[in-house]
Amino acid sequence: MSLETLRPTPAFKDVLPIEYSDLVEHGPYNNRGGDGSKQTVKVTDMGKFKEVIEEHPMCAGCAMTLFIRLTYIGMPNPEHTIVVGTAGCGRLAISQASVPFIYGNYGDTNAVASGLKRGLEVRYPNQKKDVVVMAGDGGLIDIGFQGLMHSWFRKEKFTTIMLDNEVYGNTGGQESGMTNHGKVLKMAPRGKFGDKVDALGLAKVAGVDYIARLAPTNPARVARTVRRAIMVAREVGHSYIQAYTSCNIEYSIPTPDVMKDAFEIEKERYGFEEIISPAAKAYLDEVEKKPKKKKSD
Amino acid sequence: MIIQDNLFLTRANPSGQGGFQFLYRVNDYGLSALSGPQEEISMIHWEVEIIKFTDSKTAGFETCHTTELANKTLKFYTDKSLNEFIQKAFQYFEELNSLEKMLPDET
Amino acid sequence: MANVKGSSVCRTAVDEGKPADWIPGGEKQTVVDPMKMFHELPREKLFITGSEAARESMRRANIDIAIAYPITPQSESMQQAGYLYDEGYIKEYYRAEEEIGTFSAISGASRAGVRSLTATSGPGLMRGMEAISSWPGARTPIIMLNMCRVINTPLAIQPDNIEMSFMLNTGILLLHAENQQDFYDYPLAAICASEQVDVTLPAVVSVDGFFCTHARGPVEITPEEYKLPPRDGWRSAVPAMDNENPPARISRDAPIQKSNFISYHMHSSWQQEVFAAVERSAKYFRDYLGGLVEVVNPGAEDFIIASGCAVSQAREAIRQEGENGRKVGLVKVKTIRPFPTEEILDAVKGAKRILIPEFNQAGWLHKEVCSVLYGRCNAVIKDGPRVFGGMTMPTEMILEWLEEFRKEVK
Repeated sequence: MSLETLRPTPAFKDVLPIEYSDLVEHGPYNNRGGDGSKQTVKVTDMGKFKEVIEEHPMCAGCAMTLFIRLTYIGMPNPEHTIVVGTAGCGRLAISQASVPFIYGNYGDTNAVASGLKRGLEVRYPNQKKDVVVMAGDGGLIDIGFQGLMHSWFRKEKFTTIMLDNEVYGNTGGQESGMTNHGKVLKMAPRGKFGDKVDALGLAKVAGVDYIARLAPTNPARVARTVRRAIMVAREVGHSYIQAYTSCNIEYSIPTPDVMKDAFEIEKERYGFEEIISPAAKAYLDEVEKKPKKKKSD
Repeated sequence: MIIQDNLFLTRANPSGQGGFQFLYRVNDYGLSALSGPQEEISMIHWEVEIIKFTDSKTAGFETCHTTELANKTLKFYTDKSLNEFIQKAFQYFEELNSLEKMLPDET
Repeated sequence: MANVKGSSVCRTAVDEGKPADWIPGGEKQTVVDPMKMFHELPREKLFITGSEAARESMRRANIDIAIAYPITPQSESMQQAGYLYDEGYIKEYYRAEEEIGTFSAISGASRAGVRSLTATSGPGLMRGMEAISSWPGARTPIIMLNMCRVINTPLAIQPDNIEMSFMLNTGILLLHAENQQDFYDYPLAAICASEQVDVTLPAVVSVDGFFCTHARGPVEITPEEYKLPPRDGWRSAVPAMDNENPPARISRDAPIQKSNFISYHMHSSWQQEVFAAVERSAKYFRDYLGGLVEVVNPGAEDFIIASGCAVSQAREAIRQEGENGRKVGLVKVKTIRPFPTEEILDAVKGAKRILIPEFNQAGWLHKEVCSVLYGRCNAVIKDGPRVFGGMTMPTEMILEWLEEFRKEVK
């Protein structure tokens, strides 16, 4: 939100919701250098500052929750960000964040985000508003496939983040397009037919400007990747992050072993990968190499 | 816009096929200009009939293909050509009226 | 301060592919009070198609964004919206992937707080129905033009307004245009009503396709140098999803989330409020349209109640009955939602016979009228004539039904 227009009178400061004051004074709101490209709330300080998301009803040990928390820390300007989601596990946490969340119909995320982003550009020509779609593998690659692909083709200027737990977790463990070949899950009693959809390959063919695949094994890298994706969407074109966010319930991963699984899967088939278009690369170089300037005011 | 003089009645196409019908009246004669829907909008045109009213007050009429103006349904593709024809027809109807008045009353 | 300088830029004429001195059409227009536009500005009479009437309406509607997908017979109007975008009367425009995408995207646009327009026809409406039926609960003011067309198999592109019945219970404001003139006036009125704070709902203006969209009719339009006031994204029953509203957590759609942590009566009260808002819109439509109904020949014993194209056919029928010395009344229902219950009751209180002609097989208007007149009116209500699948309703058909009706009910 505009911290310019919403500047509380000092006399009223003590009656403001504590959550708001904390976010501004000890959290990621308004805690950025210059254009928001530099991270000043550090992942390594997690637990020491007010986070955009704190309470959530996710399962114990859920890797997706960790990833979502890191995503909010990575946002360059959470106070000017709107998140769009859909039915699925992720939204149980996302809807608890201190960033507006649009919970639409199943599979409509990338269409809603297209209209929202364009509408915001019309309404706020001088204030960039970041739109981030955060939805599951089923919501994006199955029911939301058409909207996903066309938002890529149109180079809509927002970020899509796939929370890839390789299963329909919220509905009770059915196979999805992102499930691996042969995996036995509900609705795949004889094992998944066909391969895991190559969403990264599709993104590349569709001309997405910034593509990244990762597992939440390196928290600082997650935050940096999210920030890069959002910055590219702000100025260059579409960006897509595909994150391995295991479902410890449906995949029967013992809670203490969730991170161990993430490291193993990362090593086996989910290694960190970035595919950056020349335009996005030039832009990121410019943003990231800019020396930190402390203005005297 | 098309000529509004002598406009006796404007109504939705009574056949129910969409579009509008304009009935012009000069004494007992007149013309019906009908513009209906077309799948290709550029094909929209006027269908014009010379008509003779059957009653001095109501809009009842019969198609009249026996005048010198037209012996069939006419088609016009622009409002301009329709308006030119309407003007010509008005003049003709006035002349026809004065001629008919000169005829001995057959009844 | 974050982003004070703004890494973004205002788009220039050159960005839009125009010469540097290009001025968007919309910027040459003057904002005028809606009531002045509807009732006071001088009007010029044109003879234009329904699609052209829609274009002139959109030109004056101060639309921020228009999104649509091609479908006959709607395409013509949305192509016209494209030309308006090119001329600078509409600020943003694109052809979406299909109707679910279209109607989802337009709801996203409305959530941004901008005036959003889309259009569709029969099967397209049905395809996007999930998205459409979620608009009212999300409290998104959207204007949708709906050019009615057959939806049933076998496939056809003929006029038939059965699709309107699918929108009756969604919480959408639903207007039914009789002719090209209405298709110019109603969208402007619907936009203004839908954006009122105590309404904040989507509005659909339906018209019977082809008969109106692809045929010319007389339309009186206001000067093009005047436009409606812009949508004010701050004036709304719910905040826009623009992250400009304190306090921190705003998930507008939260009440519509899962029943296991939001109580059931939260959801039911939300629905009640949506439908109450539909009723509250009536006062605005009364002002803008001069009433929710038009009554011809009040006090008659025989009445026709109709909406859309059927009104035009009924008008000619009662004119011909008048020529024969019989007075037949007509109630034209302009707004299907809000439904003008009191107005209809008042108009037909002395009637003996009520005939309801319709351009669909189900007779949804007949059912609507029966549900409000039951036990409150002594007239016999007859459903018909009904034509559908592209059939026409010649004037004679209504006259025959009236004659038969008079024999049945003395």
